[in-house]
Amino acid sequence: MGLVTLIPEVVTVTTLVREPVTRAPAAAPAARLRRRSAGRFRGTPGRLTLATVALVVLGLATGVAGAVGVRQRADLVDGAVARSGELTVAAQRLYRALSDADATAASAFLTGGVEPVALRERYQADIAAAAAALAVVSGGGAGDGRGANAVARIAAQLPVYTGLVETARVYNRQGVPVGGAYLREASGVMRERLLPAAQELYEAVSGELDEARGDAGAFPWFAVALGVLTLAALVVVQRYLTRRTNRVFNIGLVVATVAAVTAMLWLGVSALVTAGRLEASHDRGSEEVARLAEARIAALQARADESLTLVARGNGQAFEDDYAKMMDRLAGENRDGGLLVPGDADETTRAALAAALTEARNWDSAHQQVRQLDNDGQYAEAVTASVGSEQTSTATIANRLDEQLAGAIDHNSENFRQEVRGAAGSLAGADIGVGLLAALLVVGAAAGIQRRLAEYR
Amino acid sequence: MRARTAAVALLSALVLAGCGSSTTPPPGPDPAEPARPVGVQDPAVLPTGSAAPAGSCNARASYRPTGALPAPGQMPSGSAMARIQRAGRLVVGVDQNNFRFGYRDPKTGNLVGFEIDLARELARAIFGSPDKVLFRAITTADREDAIREGRVDIVIRSMTMNCDRWERVNFSTEYFSAGQAIMVARDSPITGIKDLAGKKVCAATGSTSIRNIAAKAPDARPVSASDALDCLVLLQQLQVDAVSTDDAILAGFAEQDRGTKILPERFTEEPYGMAMKKESVDLARFVNGVLERLRTDGTWTRLYKAWLSSLGPTPQPPAPQYRD
Repeated sequence: MGLVTLIPEVVTVTTLVREPVTRAPAAAPAARLRRRSAGRFRGTPGRLTLATVALVVLGLATGVAGAVGVRQRADLVDGAVARSGELTVAAQRLYRALSDADATAASAFLTGGVEPVALRERYQADIAAAAAALAVVSGGGAGDGRGANAVARIAAQLPVYTGLVETARVYNRQGVPVGGAYLREASGVMRERLLPAAQELYEAVSGELDEARGDAGAFPWFAVALGVLTLAALVVVQRYLTRRTNRVFNIGLVVATVAAVTAMLWLGVSALVTAGRLEASHDRGSEEVARLAEARIAALQARADESLTLVARGNGQAFEDDYAKMMDRLAGENRDGGLLVPGDADETTRAALAAALTEARNWDSAHQQVRQLDNDGQYAEAVTASVGSEQTSTATIANRLDEQLAGAIDHNSENFRQEVRGAAGSLAGADIGVGLLAALLVVGAAAGIQRRLAEYR
Repeated sequence: MRARTAAVALLSALVLAGCGSSTTPPPGPDPAEPARPVGVQDPAVLPTGSAAPAGSCNARASYRPTGALPAPGQMPSGSAMARIQRAGRLVVGVDQNNFRFGYRDPKTGNLVGFEIDLARELARAIFGSPDKVLFRAITTADREDAIREGRVDIVIRSMTMNCDRWERVNFSTEYFSAGQAIMVARDSPITGIKDLAGKKVCAATGSTSIRNIAAKAPDARPVSASDALDCLVLLQQLQVDAVSTDDAILAGFAEQDRGTKILPERFTEEPYGMAMKKESVDLARFVNGVLERLRTDGTWTRLYKAWLSSLGPTPQPPAPQYRD
C-alpha cells in the first residue's frame, strides 16, 4: 500500500520539475499544475522539501525491502535448502540401509545355519544406519504431513522387521525350517511396508528441497523496482537543482546516487549468483545424487531378488522377474546405460558411472551363470556362485558396483554442499550492505538538498 | 470496492495457508497393523466346488505296475520315463518347509526329508543315481499347475489323493497315511473341532485342509496362508487361534515349537500320493513298481525310521490298492 501512495507524488515531482523550465510554451498547463499543488510545497523551497521527503521515503523503502529480502533468501539457503538437502541425503540413506538389510538377511539365510560374521555385521550396520537416518529425518521435522506419516510408519515397522529377522535367526540356528518362514515374513514387511514408506519420505523431502531452492533463488524484483524508482527520482532532483543553481554537482546527492547504484548492483548480482549456485547445487549435486541413489537402490533390490530367488528354490520366478526389471532399470535393457548413462555428470562421476556399468554387465553375466547352475540342479554351486567370497561371485561384483556408486554419491553430495555454501556466501553481508547503502543514500540526499534549501533562508 | 476485493483475497489466502500448515497427517495404513506372512488371506477365499465329490471313486487306487521294473538307464522307448532319462534328470516338485518330510536343512542349505529321499529313490530307479534329480520348491496351491504346465515331472509334496484331484492328475499308490488334526497353543481352551466356532483357524491355500475346516467347522473363521508353515508363524504371533492340517505336518510344527499341542482328534483321512500328468499312465505304473519295491525291500521302513520316528512307532507301509 505504501508504494501505491508514493508513486503519484513522484509523478508530481517529475511534472513539477520538468515542465516550466524546459518548455516555455507549455507554461500555461504548468501554471495550472502549480496552482493545484499544495501551498506548503509552492516555490523552490517547497519543492525541495517535497523532494527530500520523497527521497527519504523511497530510500528507506528500498533499504528495508532489499535487506529484508536478502535476509529471507539467506535464511532459506542456510535453513531450508541446506536442511532439506541434508534431509534428502538422510532419507536416501535410510532407503539404502533398509534395502541393504533386506539383501543381506537373504544372503545370510542362504549361507545356511550360522551366518558369516561379515554378513551379520553388515546387517547390524544397516539397521543402525537406518535408525540414525530416521532420527535425522524425523528430528528435521520432515515437512508436510506426508513425510511425517511415512516417518511414523517406518518407526513403527522397523522394530517389527528386526524382531522377525532375529526370530528367523534363532530358529535357523536350531536347524528348523520355521526360521525361513520368519525370514519371508520379514522380507514381506520390508518390501510391502518399509521400502514404500521410505520411498514416500524421500519424495516428500526432495519435493521440499526443490521448493526451498526455488524460493531462495527468486530474483528480488520488488526491492530492485523500488531502487530503480529511487534512482530515477535522484536523477530528476539533481537535474532540477543543476538548472536552478547552476552547480553541476551536489556532493550529497552524488553520494546518494552512487549508494543507490551500488545497492542495486549488489542486490541484483548477489541474487543472480545465488540462483546460479543453487541451480548448480541441483545439476551438479542433488540431481546427480538422486539418480545415483536410484541406481544404487535398483542394484540392491536386484541383489535381494537374486538371493530370494535362491531362497525360494524353484519357486522364485517372481523374484527373478523383479531382478530383470531392476537390472533393466539400472543398466538399461541392452545393458548399455539405464541409470548409469554419463549424462551431464562431471569427470569424477562419469568415471564412476563407467566403472559401475562394467560391473553391472559382469554381474548380469555372472547372474545368468547362477541361474543356469540352479536350473541344472546344481543348487549348492549356484549358492556359492551367488554368496561366495570369490572375485567372480555375484556378491563380490555387486559390492564393487555398490562402492562405485557410493563414491559417486559422496562426491556429488560434496558438490551440493559446496554450491549451497557458495550460494549462502554470495548473499553474505548483502543485507547489511544494502541497509547501510540505503542509509547513506537517505543521509546524502537529505543533507545535499538541505544545503541548497539553506541558501533560500 | 477494491479494498473489499483485497480483503477477501487476503482472507482466503489466510484460510488456505491455515489448511496448508495443518499438522494432521493424511490417512495412511495404520502403523500398528501387525506384520503377516506374505500371501495370507484373512478371511480365506475357499476353493470352489469340486469336480468329483468324495466317495465317487476309490481315491487310494492307482495303476498296477506292469511286470518287472526296467533296468536303470534303460527306460522303454517312447515312455514318459524315457523322456525323463533323455532330459538327464528327474524334476520333482517338493516342499522346502515341511519339517521331516521335505525341508531345507538350515545348517547345510540342502533339501532333506522323507519325501526328498523317496524322490531320490525314483531317480535311482530311472538313472541308477539318486543325485540326478532337480528339486523345485512349489507352494501347495501350485501343485496341479506345476504338473499340468510341465514345470515338474512329479510332485511329492504331502498331496492328498482324492477323487476331485484324480480328475486332473494321476496319483501313485499311497506312500504315507495322514489325517487332519488341530494344533493350538499349549494353554488354549480349545479341545476339539467343536470349540472352533468363531475362532480363526489356519491352513494352506489350495489344500484339502482348508476345505475340511469349512465343511466340518462351518462356524470357524478360516485363514489361509501360502505355506502351511506360515500358519505356525501366525499361531506363534497370536494372529490365529488354531492350525488345522495333516497330523504329519503338525507333528513337524510341534517339534519346532514346544509351546504348542496337537489335539488327539483326527477327523479325516489324508492318503499321500505322488502326483503326475494325467496322460502319463506309464509313469504312474513305473512309480508304483518302484514303491512296491521300496515297501518290500525295507527301504520305506528305513526312511520312515530315519525321518519320522517322532510320529511314534514305525507302522507297516500303506498297502497298495490298484484300479488296474
